[in-house]
Amino acid sequence: MAIGGYVSDLDRGDVMGPVEYVMSRFVVREYCHANEMHQPCFQGIDKQIAPPTLVHLDKLRLYRHACPAGKGPWARLHIEYDATYHAPIRVGERLRVKGTVVDRYVKRGREYVITDIDLRRASDDELLIAYRDTVILAYSANATKS
Amino acid sequence: MHFEPGTEFRLPPRPMTRERMRWYVDIQDTVRIDDGRIHAQPPTIHDDDEYARSQGLPGIIADGMISTNWILSLLVDVFGPVAAGKGGLRTKYIAPVYEDQTLITCARVTSVHVDGTGDVVHALDVWCEDDTGKKVTVGEARVHLPSAGSDRR
Repeated sequence: MAIGGYVSDLDRGDVMGPVEYVMSRFVVREYCHANEMHQPCFQGIDKQIAPPTLVHLDKLRLYRHACPAGKGPWARLHIEYDATYHAPIRVGERLRVKGTVVDRYVKRGREYVITDIDLRRASDDELLIAYRDTVILAYSANATKS
Repeated sequence: MHFEPGTEFRLPPRPMTRERMRWYVDIQDTVRIDDGRIHAQPPTIHDDDEYARSQGLPGIIADGMISTNWILSLLVDVFGPVAAGKGGLRTKYIAPVYEDQTLITCARVTSVHVDGTGDVVHALDVWCEDDTGKKVTVGEARVHLPSAGSDRR
Protein backbone atom coordinates (compact mmCIF):
# COMPACT_ATOMS: atom_id res chain seq x y z
CA MET A 1 0.00 0.00 0.00
CA ALA A 2 1.34 3.39 -0.97
CA ILE A 3 -1.29 5.81 0.30
CA GLY A 4 0.19 8.86 1.99
CA GLY A 5 3.24 9.23 -0.27
CA TYR A 6 3.74 10.15 -3.94
CA VAL A 7 1.31 9.50 -6.77
CA SER A 8 4.08 7.63 -8.54
CA ASP A 9 4.17 5.15 -5.65
CA LEU A 10 0.52 4.11 -5.98
CA ASP A 11 0.12 0.38 -6.41
CA ARG A 12 -2.52 -2.23 -7.06
CA GLY A 13 -5.10 -2.35 -4.27
CA ASP A 14 -4.57 1.20 -3.06
CA VAL A 15 -7.86 2.93 -2.26
CA MET A 16 -8.20 6.71 -2.47
CA GLY A 17 -10.99 8.50 -0.69
CA PRO A 18 -13.89 8.68 -0.44
CA VAL A 19 -14.00 12.44 -0.84
CA GLU A 20 -17.21 14.47 -0.84
CA TYR A 21 -17.88 17.78 -2.55
CA VAL A 22 -20.73 19.76 -4.09
CA MET A 23 -20.86 20.28 -7.85
CA SER A 24 -20.99 24.05 -8.23
CA ARG A 25 -22.22 26.26 -11.07
CA PHE A 26 -18.80 27.92 -11.16
CA VAL A 27 -16.97 24.63 -11.67
CA VAL A 28 -19.27 23.53 -14.48
CA ARG A 29 -19.16 26.86 -16.30
CA GLU A 30 -15.41 27.35 -15.97
CA TYR A 31 -14.57 23.76 -16.93
CA CYS A 32 -16.83 23.98 -19.97
CA HIS A 33 -15.51 27.41 -20.85
CA ALA A 34 -11.94 26.04 -20.72
CA ASN A 35 -12.99 23.30 -23.14
CA GLU A 36 -15.12 25.56 -25.37
CA MET A 37 -18.34 23.77 -24.48
CA HIS A 38 -20.83 26.59 -24.69
CA GLN A 39 -24.09 24.63 -24.75
CA PRO A 40 -26.90 25.99 -22.52
CA CYS A 41 -27.05 22.74 -20.51
CA PHE A 42 -23.57 23.61 -19.21
CA GLN A 43 -23.49 27.42 -19.37
CA GLY A 44 -27.15 28.24 -18.70
CA ILE A 45 -29.18 29.03 -15.60
CA ASP A 46 -31.90 26.36 -15.59
CA LYS A 47 -31.42 22.58 -15.50
CA GLN A 48 -27.65 22.97 -15.51
CA ILE A 49 -25.74 19.68 -15.57
CA ALA A 50 -22.05 18.87 -15.33
CA PRO A 51 -20.15 17.35 -18.24
CA PRO A 52 -19.37 13.76 -17.24
CA THR A 53 -15.78 14.31 -18.36
CA LEU A 54 -15.29 16.30 -15.17
CA VAL A 55 -14.77 12.93 -13.50
CA HIS A 56 -11.23 13.10 -14.85
CA LEU A 57 -10.51 15.89 -12.38
CA ASP A 58 -11.88 13.73 -9.58
CA LYS A 59 -8.79 11.62 -10.13
CA LEU A 60 -6.64 14.66 -9.34
CA ARG A 61 -8.85 15.40 -6.34
CA LEU A 62 -8.23 11.85 -5.08
CA TYR A 63 -4.49 12.09 -5.77
CA ARG A 64 -4.33 15.27 -3.73
CA HIS A 65 -6.24 13.59 -0.90
CA ALA A 66 -4.32 10.31 -0.88
CA CYS A 67 -0.82 11.39 -1.97
CA PRO A 68 0.09 14.57 -0.08
CA ALA A 69 3.77 14.32 -1.12
CA GLY A 70 2.84 15.21 -4.71
CA LYS A 71 3.21 13.65 -8.12
CA GLY A 72 6.71 12.23 -7.81
CA PRO A 73 9.74 12.74 -10.06
CA TRP A 74 8.13 12.41 -13.49
CA ALA A 75 5.15 13.89 -15.28
CA ARG A 76 2.35 11.38 -15.80
CA LEU A 77 0.82 10.97 -19.23
CA HIS A 78 -2.91 10.26 -19.45
CA ILE A 79 -3.52 7.76 -22.22
CA GLU A 80 -7.10 6.51 -21.85
CA TYR A 81 -10.45 7.78 -20.58
CA ASP A 82 -13.22 5.18 -20.25
CA ALA A 83 -16.44 6.21 -18.54
CA THR A 84 -19.94 4.80 -18.26
CA TYR A 85 -22.56 7.38 -17.41
CA HIS A 86 -25.58 6.16 -15.47
CA ALA A 87 -27.36 9.44 -14.78
CA PRO A 88 -26.75 13.16 -15.24
CA ILE A 89 -24.90 15.12 -12.57
CA ARG A 90 -27.03 18.06 -11.47
CA VAL A 91 -25.47 21.26 -10.27
CA GLY A 92 -25.84 21.61 -6.52
CA GLU A 93 -25.68 17.87 -5.82
CA ARG A 94 -23.38 16.58 -3.11
CA LEU A 95 -21.15 13.90 -4.61
CA ARG A 96 -18.91 11.20 -3.22
CA VAL A 97 -15.91 9.93 -5.17
CA LYS A 98 -13.66 7.00 -4.47
CA GLY A 99 -10.76 5.54 -6.44
CA THR A 100 -9.09 2.15 -6.47
CA VAL A 101 -5.83 1.34 -8.20
CA VAL A 102 -6.71 -1.89 -10.00
CA ASP A 103 -3.46 -2.53 -11.82
CA ARG A 104 0.12 -1.38 -12.22
CA TYR A 105 2.35 -3.06 -14.79
CA VAL A 106 5.29 -2.51 -17.11
CA LYS A 107 4.90 -2.69 -20.88
CA ARG A 108 7.69 -1.83 -23.33
CA GLY A 109 9.65 -0.17 -20.56
CA ARG A 110 6.81 2.07 -19.37
CA GLU A 111 4.85 1.75 -16.14
CA TYR A 112 1.07 1.82 -16.51
CA VAL A 113 -1.38 2.55 -13.71
CA ILE A 114 -5.10 1.81 -14.04
CA THR A 115 -7.51 3.39 -11.59
CA ASP A 116 -11.23 2.78 -11.24
CA ILE A 117 -13.20 5.73 -9.94
CA ASP A 118 -16.82 5.63 -8.77
CA LEU A 119 -18.73 8.88 -8.58
CA ARG A 120 -21.91 8.61 -6.53
CA ARG A 121 -24.66 10.92 -5.36
CA ALA A 122 -23.99 11.32 -1.65
CA SER A 123 -27.64 11.50 -0.62
CA ASP A 124 -28.64 8.01 -1.83
CA ASP A 125 -25.35 6.43 -2.94
CA GLU A 126 -26.58 6.09 -6.54
CA LEU A 127 -23.74 5.41 -8.95
CA LEU A 128 -23.60 8.26 -11.46
CA ILE A 129 -20.33 7.53 -13.28
CA ALA A 130 -18.01 4.53 -13.36
CA TYR A 131 -14.69 5.70 -14.74
CA ARG A 132 -11.52 3.80 -15.61
CA ASP A 133 -8.40 5.95 -16.01
CA THR A 134 -5.13 4.78 -17.53
CA VAL A 135 -1.86 6.69 -17.21
CA ILE A 136 1.78 6.00 -17.83
CA LEU A 137 4.06 7.25 -15.11
CA ALA A 138 6.65 8.84 -17.44
CA TYR A 139 6.85 9.70 -21.12
CA SER A 140 10.39 8.38 -21.55
CA ALA A 141 10.61 4.60 -21.53
CA ASN A 142 12.63 3.38 -18.55
CA ALA A 143 12.50 6.81 -16.87
CA THR A 144 10.81 5.40 -13.80
CA LYS A 145 13.61 2.89 -13.35
CA SER A 146 16.28 5.53 -12.86
CA MET B 1 -34.84 11.34 -33.37
CA HIS B 2 -32.40 8.75 -34.52
CA PHE B 3 -29.59 8.50 -37.04
CA GLU B 4 -28.78 5.73 -39.45
CA PRO B 5 -25.56 3.72 -39.13
CA GLY B 6 -22.88 5.36 -41.22
CA THR B 7 -24.05 8.89 -40.46
CA GLU B 8 -20.99 11.01 -39.75
CA PHE B 9 -20.61 14.28 -37.84
CA ARG B 10 -17.63 16.63 -37.82
CA LEU B 11 -16.71 19.85 -36.06
CA PRO B 12 -14.81 22.56 -37.94
CA PRO B 13 -10.99 22.29 -37.72
CA ARG B 14 -9.41 23.82 -34.63
CA PRO B 15 -5.72 24.47 -34.05
CA MET B 16 -4.42 23.14 -30.73
CA THR B 17 -2.93 26.42 -29.67
CA ARG B 18 -0.74 27.03 -26.65
CA GLU B 19 -3.66 28.86 -25.06
CA ARG B 20 -6.06 25.93 -25.48
CA MET B 21 -3.51 23.67 -23.79
CA ARG B 22 -3.03 26.12 -20.93
CA TRP B 23 -6.78 26.49 -20.37
CA TYR B 24 -6.93 22.80 -19.43
CA VAL B 25 -3.96 23.20 -17.11
CA ASP B 26 -5.45 26.22 -15.36
CA ILE B 27 -8.85 24.61 -14.94
CA GLN B 28 -7.50 21.75 -12.82
CA ASP B 29 -6.71 23.56 -9.60
CA THR B 30 -9.53 26.01 -10.35
CA VAL B 31 -12.01 23.14 -10.13
CA ARG B 32 -10.44 21.61 -7.06
CA ILE B 33 -10.31 24.86 -5.09
CA ASP B 34 -13.70 26.09 -6.38
CA ASP B 35 -13.58 29.59 -4.87
CA GLY B 36 -14.73 31.59 -7.89
CA ARG B 37 -11.19 32.46 -9.04
CA ILE B 38 -8.74 30.98 -11.55
CA HIS B 39 -5.76 29.08 -10.06
CA ALA B 40 -2.64 28.37 -12.11
CA GLN B 41 -0.41 25.33 -11.57
CA PRO B 42 3.34 24.85 -11.41
CA PRO B 43 4.86 24.11 -14.86
CA THR B 44 3.48 21.07 -16.69
CA ILE B 45 4.21 19.24 -19.94
CA HIS B 46 1.14 21.01 -21.33
CA ASP B 47 2.18 24.61 -20.79
CA ASP B 48 5.95 24.83 -20.28
CA ASP B 49 8.36 23.85 -23.09
CA GLU B 50 11.40 23.64 -20.86
CA TYR B 51 9.64 21.35 -18.40
CA ALA B 52 8.25 19.25 -21.27
CA ARG B 53 11.77 18.81 -22.69
CA SER B 54 13.03 17.80 -19.25
CA GLN B 55 10.49 14.96 -19.43
CA GLY B 56 11.74 13.72 -22.82
CA LEU B 57 9.22 15.52 -25.01
CA PRO B 58 10.16 17.85 -27.90
CA GLY B 59 7.89 20.57 -26.47
CA ILE B 60 4.48 20.99 -24.90
CA ILE B 61 1.73 18.55 -25.83
CA ALA B 62 -2.01 18.79 -25.32
CA ASP B 63 -3.79 17.03 -22.47
CA GLY B 64 -5.83 14.26 -24.07
CA MET B 65 -8.91 15.36 -22.16
CA ILE B 66 -9.20 18.37 -24.46
CA SER B 67 -9.93 16.09 -27.40
CA THR B 68 -12.24 13.98 -25.20
CA ASN B 69 -14.18 17.10 -24.31
CA TRP B 70 -14.37 18.20 -27.93
CA ILE B 71 -15.84 14.79 -28.76
CA LEU B 72 -18.37 15.09 -25.91
CA SER B 73 -19.24 18.58 -27.14
CA LEU B 74 -19.90 17.23 -30.64
CA LEU B 75 -22.19 14.55 -29.18
CA VAL B 76 -24.12 17.17 -27.17
CA ASP B 77 -24.47 19.30 -30.30
CA VAL B 78 -25.91 16.32 -32.19
CA PHE B 79 -28.04 14.58 -29.54
CA GLY B 80 -28.63 17.31 -26.95
CA PRO B 81 -27.96 17.21 -23.18
CA VAL B 82 -28.90 13.51 -23.02
CA ALA B 83 -25.45 12.80 -24.47
CA ALA B 84 -24.07 13.96 -21.11
CA GLY B 85 -26.58 12.00 -19.07
CA LYS B 86 -26.64 8.29 -19.81
CA GLY B 87 -24.27 6.31 -21.99
CA GLY B 88 -20.54 6.09 -22.20
CA LEU B 89 -17.40 7.43 -23.80
CA ARG B 90 -14.01 5.84 -24.19
CA THR B 91 -11.10 7.71 -25.73
CA LYS B 92 -7.54 6.58 -26.22
CA TYR B 93 -4.76 9.04 -27.01
CA ILE B 94 -2.71 7.28 -29.67
CA ALA B 95 -0.44 10.13 -30.74
CA PRO B 96 0.77 13.32 -29.07
CA VAL B 97 -0.86 16.58 -30.15
CA TYR B 98 1.68 19.36 -30.54
CA GLU B 99 1.29 23.13 -30.50
CA ASP B 100 -0.73 24.48 -33.44
CA GLN B 101 -1.55 21.04 -34.82
CA THR B 102 -5.04 21.32 -36.32
CA LEU B 103 -7.65 18.85 -35.07
CA ILE B 104 -10.97 17.82 -36.54
CA THR B 105 -13.43 16.16 -34.13
CA CYS B 106 -15.50 13.36 -35.66
CA ALA B 107 -18.17 10.79 -34.82
CA ARG B 108 -19.82 8.10 -36.93
CA VAL B 109 -22.89 6.07 -35.98
CA THR B 110 -22.08 2.35 -36.04
CA SER B 111 -25.35 0.87 -34.76
CA VAL B 112 -28.75 1.79 -33.33
CA HIS B 113 -30.95 -0.40 -31.17
CA VAL B 114 -33.70 -0.18 -28.58
CA ASP B 115 -32.65 -1.53 -25.19
CA GLY B 116 -34.78 -3.21 -22.53
CA THR B 117 -35.88 0.10 -21.03
CA GLY B 118 -37.05 1.50 -24.34
CA ASP B 119 -34.06 3.79 -24.80
CA VAL B 120 -32.81 4.21 -28.36
CA VAL B 121 -29.10 3.52 -28.03
CA HIS B 122 -26.71 4.93 -30.60
CA ALA B 123 -23.23 3.44 -30.72
CA LEU B 124 -20.60 5.56 -32.41
CA ASP B 125 -16.96 5.51 -33.34
CA VAL B 126 -15.39 8.78 -32.25
CA TRP B 127 -12.03 10.26 -33.07
CA CYS B 128 -9.93 13.38 -33.59
CA GLU B 129 -7.74 13.58 -36.66
CA ASP B 130 -5.29 16.19 -37.82
CA ASP B 131 -5.46 18.05 -41.11
CA THR B 132 -3.57 15.24 -42.85
CA GLY B 133 -6.17 12.70 -41.75
CA LYS B 134 -3.90 11.14 -39.11
CA LYS B 135 -5.91 10.01 -36.09
CA VAL B 136 -4.55 11.17 -32.74
CA THR B 137 -7.48 10.18 -30.48
CA VAL B 138 -9.79 7.21 -31.07
CA GLY B 139 -12.65 5.62 -29.18
CA GLU B 140 -16.30 4.74 -28.92
CA ALA B 141 -19.41 6.35 -27.48
CA ARG B 142 -22.91 5.26 -26.51
CA VAL B 143 -25.76 7.71 -26.30
CA HIS B 144 -29.11 6.70 -24.78
CA LEU B 145 -32.08 8.62 -26.10
CA PRO B 146 -34.96 8.14 -23.64
CA SER B 147 -38.20 6.68 -24.89
CA ALA B 148 -41.30 8.85 -25.26
CA GLY B 149 -42.84 9.42 -21.85
CA SER B 150 -39.59 8.95 -19.97
CA ASP B 151 -38.98 11.51 -17.24
CA ARG B 152 -35.43 11.87 -18.59
CA ARG B 153 -36.66 13.57 -21.77
